[in-house]
Amino acid sequence: MLTVNNIGKVYNGKIAVDINELHIQQGEIIGLAGNNGAGKTTFFRLILDLIRADRGEILSKEKSITQNEEWKQYTAAYLDEGFLINYLTPEEYFYFVGKLNNLSKADVDEYLQGFTSFFDGAILKSGKYLRDLSKGNQFKVGIAACMLQNPELLILDEPFANLDPSSQSRLIQMLRELHEKRRMTILISSHDLNHITDVCKRILVMEKGRIINDMQTSEDTLHELEAYFKV
Amino acid sequence: MISLLLSHQWKAFWRSRNAGKSVAIQIFMGFLMLYLLASALLVGFAVKAIIKNVVPGQDVVIVFCGFVLYYFAFDILMRFMLQELPTIAVQPYLAHNIKRKQLVHFLNWRSLFTFLNVLPLILFIPFSITGIGKAYGASVAIGFVVSIISLCIFNHFLILYVKRKTVISAWWMVGFFVTVVLFMLGDYFGIFSLQKVSAFLFTAILHNAWLCLVAIALAAAAFINNSRFLYNNLYIEEMTKSSKAKTSSEFSWLQRFGNIGDMIAVDLKLILRNKRPRSLLMLSVFFLAYGFIFYKQTYFEKNMLGMILMGGIFITGMFMASFGQFLFAWQSVHFDGVMASNINIKTFIKSKFYLLVAFSTIAMLVSLPYGFINWRIIPVQIAAYFFNVGIHSIMCIYFATRSYKGLDLGKAATFNYQGTGSAQWLYSLAIFLVGIVLYLPLGLLVNPWAGIIAVGLLGLISFLLQDWWIDILTKQFMLRKYKILEGFREK
Repeated sequence: MLTVNNIGKVYNGKIAVDINELHIQQGEIIGLAGNNGAGKTTFFRLILDLIRADRGEILSKEKSITQNEEWKQYTAAYLDEGFLINYLTPEEYFYFVGKLNNLSKADVDEYLQGFTSFFDGAILKSGKYLRDLSKGNQFKVGIAACMLQNPELLILDEPFANLDPSSQSRLIQMLRELHEKRRMTILISSHDLNHITDVCKRILVMEKGRIINDMQTSEDTLHELEAYFKV
Repeated sequence: MISLLLSHQWKAFWRSRNAGKSVAIQIFMGFLMLYLLASALLVGFAVKAIIKNVVPGQDVVIVFCGFVLYYFAFDILMRFMLQELPTIAVQPYLAHNIKRKQLVHFLNWRSLFTFLNVLPLILFIPFSITGIGKAYGASVAIGFVVSIISLCIFNHFLILYVKRKTVISAWWMVGFFVTVVLFMLGDYFGIFSLQKVSAFLFTAILHNAWLCLVAIALAAAAFINNSRFLYNNLYIEEMTKSSKAKTSSEFSWLQRFGNIGDMIAVDLKLILRNKRPRSLLMLSVFFLAYGFIFYKQTYFEKNMLGMILMGGIFITGMFMASFGQFLFAWQSVHFDGVMASNINIKTFIKSKFYLLVAFSTIAMLVSLPYGFINWRIIPVQIAAYFFNVGIHSIMCIYFATRSYKGLDLGKAATFNYQGTGSAQWLYSLAIFLVGIVLYLPLGLLVNPWAGIIAVGLLGLISFLLQDWWIDILTKQFMLRKYKILEGFREK
């Protein structure tokens, strides 16, 4: 699905991302762990072609993401509020994203039915623009809009950080389902070691832009991670 | 306490993210302000000479008295458009141990610092002293000056109140404009004469200087009214946005254009739902009125079509230019999202192109009635329109691919230079120059009409080549995409 070849990005002499080689297979569910400044978000931005790499390249389905735009058709991502069009209502935003992916209004409505409990009555018909929603609810809109696209590759940055506990466990369920039923490739980052070891089958630990550990999740993973992040 | 809070505002002004970033713009703005103030001062001192020239043989002071209310009527309109409500400034203090009354005072003081309050003083006080003081004595001059200052303060707080009310209910806006229009019509059709009222009131002050107390009372009433309103409604939530539920809307007529139509619909919502582009839209109504300045009969008599063409380019292209100078920057906050979503870059560029064309088309249609002044305006304006949709639009998008500064949609448009870089300044200059350069060779050597036809034809041809242009623009955009994204992410 994704191949990373010797990618590097430096900001003001400081290494932000420096990954020699990374392969991600179709249908993998991968967690990215690392402290602030480890380069997780920068790495995601590189995958989405939002920043130019200093060296190396990223291939999505064997095609360079900088050379063509095909990846956009099967990739959905939510990194931060910068992905929302903040002066639209949630409905308008969903319909817009739906339209970009050839979904009719009826399709979108039907799809959103499945999010009723996740939204908890605070999003649809709330009479607010996205900019007036709380950060957690904005995140829910972003996540739902990603899933709406039924992508092959889903990228979420810190999806658990702004969610309430019930929404966190609902999200975990949804991610599992997407992975098992639709074979979706999922890439998430999180500070919450419990959550990612819970959901992800493979975990990448990043530090100062490098992937310093690449492990398959097992029973010991959580302990290993906790030991690594202990101060 | 209030002086401490005001000192925070002073710091906020100088430490804002944009201050100091581009010294050139600061200096330019400084000069512009100085120039404006100097001009006003010059007018202020030349009142006597001006009046003598315009209406010779009349008592200068009486004519001056008749004019004062006109100015303040116009001042109300200007304030309604330009004056800002400094409500947000109070937000960080609400939860602190500061009395509500002090906060209201702070807001009132803070609001006074605007050039709109300096302008009338500079315009009127010089003559009040030199003209009136000489003829009627010092006490009358003082009474006059006090009246002017009081009227200024009256307008200031009246408009603050009205504008705060319009935030809460749109009916206040309707009411305000209906009142203004009724006044204008009443004056125009001679039902009453603002000039006579003004002359009557101010000559009364000339004879009884103590009448300025009435003006002071008016100012005090407006001040107290505004303070009371603020005191009772000091909730940020209620003051900054209406509590009305936001409804989803769509422009179904745009849907038939597929993705391009959807993106245009989103752009239209951007304009209507955000403060800065919305105030730009309101200003653009003024741009349409520029025809009364540019379209002069003398230009037709002397066959100076170049001037008419300039006016035409301005009128049919000004909203396009002022919106287009931030073409991508409007979306800077969510540009990451736009670039990562399933939007083809070419479609994206195309949607911007059609949006600009639509702006120009609307401006052209709305300004067609200028043809009543002189039918020749219409063909010139159509040539200008072709120039705008064919050449200006392309240049606009090209310059947008070279502008890397984001902006905040929530701020008002006037005197807001956030997101302005050298590209924008060059751009505004370039479009008018290009239009004139295209006109001049044939216009001067052959015949003014030949020049007009050349401009129109070139515009039309360029418009028909749009697919070719859009390919080039897409490539240009791709070249600088990362730089644009990086610039927009930097707040």
